[in-house]
Amino acid sequence: MAAAARRRLKLASAARSAILAFAIAGALAIVVLSRRSAPPDVKSAFPAGEIVIGVDASFPPFALDNGERIEGLDIDLASALARELELPIRFENIGFYALHDALISGRVDMLVSALRVDPARMDDLRYTQSYFDNGLVVVGTRDTAQADAEAPAKARIAFEYASSADAEIRAWEVDGQWITMLPYELPEFALDAARLGLADGAVVDATTLRLYLRARSEWTPRYEYITHEPYAIALRIDRAEAWRLVDGALDALKESGELVTIIDSWL
Amino acid sequence: MSRVKHRRAWSLALALQSKRRALARLLLFGSLLALAVPRPVSDRVPLGEQQIVETANRQVCVHTLLENEVQEAKIKRSLVLARELGAATIVQFFPWAYYEPQRGRFSWDGADRIISHANRQGLRVIARLGLVPEWARPNGADKPTTLNYLPAESFDDFARYAAAFARRYAESVAAVIIWNEPNLSFEWGYRLVDPGAYVRLLRAAYGQIKAANSNMLVLAGALAPTLEGAGSAAGLNELDYLTAMYQDGAREIFDALAIHTYGFRDAPAAEPAPQRLNFRRAELLRDIMVAHGDADKRVFVTESGWNDHPRWSGAVRPSRRTAYTIQAFEFVAANWTWLENLCVWALRFPADLLSHPDNFTLVSADFKRKPIYYALQDYARGWERSETPWLPPPVAG
Repeated sequence: MAAAARRRLKLASAARSAILAFAIAGALAIVVLSRRSAPPDVKSAFPAGEIVIGVDASFPPFALDNGERIEGLDIDLASALARELELPIRFENIGFYALHDALISGRVDMLVSALRVDPARMDDLRYTQSYFDNGLVVVGTRDTAQADAEAPAKARIAFEYASSADAEIRAWEVDGQWITMLPYELPEFALDAARLGLADGAVVDATTLRLYLRARSEWTPRYEYITHEPYAIALRIDRAEAWRLVDGALDALKESGELVTIIDSWL
Repeated sequence: MSRVKHRRAWSLALALQSKRRALARLLLFGSLLALAVPRPVSDRVPLGEQQIVETANRQVCVHTLLENEVQEAKIKRSLVLARELGAATIVQFFPWAYYEPQRGRFSWDGADRIISHANRQGLRVIARLGLVPEWARPNGADKPTTLNYLPAESFDDFARYAAAFARRYAESVAAVIIWNEPNLSFEWGYRLVDPGAYVRLLRAAYGQIKAANSNMLVLAGALAPTLEGAGSAAGLNELDYLTAMYQDGAREIFDALAIHTYGFRDAPAAEPAPQRLNFRRAELLRDIMVAHGDADKRVFVTESGWNDHPRWSGAVRPSRRTAYTIQAFEFVAANWTWLENLCVWALRFPADLLSHPDNFTLVSADFKRKPIYYALQDYARGWERSETPWLPPPVAG
């Protein structure tokens, strides 16, 4: 009887210990999860009470110092983000070579400067989601993908001489041999050739295409990305809270359509 | 440890047997362990046959960036491209922080590798020296400093490095450049620039370099083209900076002036002016040299070029970049009798920076030669140039 009682007691004790351990683990999990889901605090993310933006204002139409003030797509985007976060904003115009140093040293809170996501910098930086893709696009009035090696006429592709499109297309030639290359002195000439039907397509970067189309609203070509150059906002790797806030604000701008409005106003 | 040494350890362990069995076991175990640990495979690349640069214009020079190139094969390949371009001279950076990681303890492997390959390709090397090791700069948590921060108390340490470099490469390097763009705050450790301090650095370096190797040419300046005025936090324009250098007695402590001159959006023949950044701005620096009695000194343009990024405000279109670059070489050959070399920034970066600086290069990070490379090669080697490589503007039919 005594032995049975001791066994029961032992089992009860073990059960209590297991329940206690489970309860502690559960409580810890709740604390951790609640911390994770708690909204980041703007005051602790930006303790100076303002957002300092590093920007290389030599990059129109993303940012340009016109002598009186800095303006451009990146400036409007950063201002809209600051409004979302209800914080004042200040811009520091910094040349590209010193831009990343300024972020890492804490001189600025983040970089909004037509920055391409660079995997090599990810030990030091944390990028937000992309806000614009400046990759190369193929533009045309017919589906150039249909023009393969068996077609009687090679696809005629126009591009700017010695540009990134030139390098991309010459690589296709090595691979495919199905292109008649039409190099032009300017990317606008390449787009003219596509628009006028002198080429089956043109390859330019997305910004160039959008700027070209702004002046020629009567032309509505088909286009498709063939490479990607995502532009994103960079923050220091140790500023996770600030990053979450900025990335969330960018989400809000996308959902509300404000990001598209900003891009359309410049490109 | 070499493979031979491992074999010796193995034999020794077997020979000891009974008398010192415990020690033998230990050695045996150690040797087996050492054999089991993977050893780095040597990536040394043969230097190859001695080459000669075939060129019709010995002023053609390129700035290389090999100090951060990990693979020796890429170092060699870059230098082969420089030779094939027809560039007889290269400018290459040799960071002090890499080669003297501890005070007085030099580690020259990286520099040896670059210089031996360059020499084997027949290239003349101009070495740019800079970048401060951690031990030579204050680096407290309260006041972190950048790699370009050289405190005055470390000037002599830098001078010792420069002298050691000049001694070691007496037969293989033609000239050294003391520091880079000291008229920019960024290149002066984010401090207000100080021509007087630079002259003191130059004086320390010149004396020790000449004592180590009297034949080594010492190039000063390498000033950045900028319009910044006195008191600017960003820097000081190179015209005022050079004038201040002369006023501080720099004339006797350099053999030639290194100049950085970029074309930005102007054609190479565009007139220079103090408030304009363009290629012929170099002539304004030359005028300052002449005014201070240095007319006989040579000039090396150690950085130059045009950029063809589609968005950067300081860039031109690629077609224009190519034309301007060739025109610049033709212009200096005809007009700048005082010029030794015109070096293009830059041959190639070890990795893309993913912004406009990539559009200064002649060869991409993955070794694709850009059209400007071929155009410059035609010029440098005296080959007949092809006709305009683009079509006339399209016209509606």
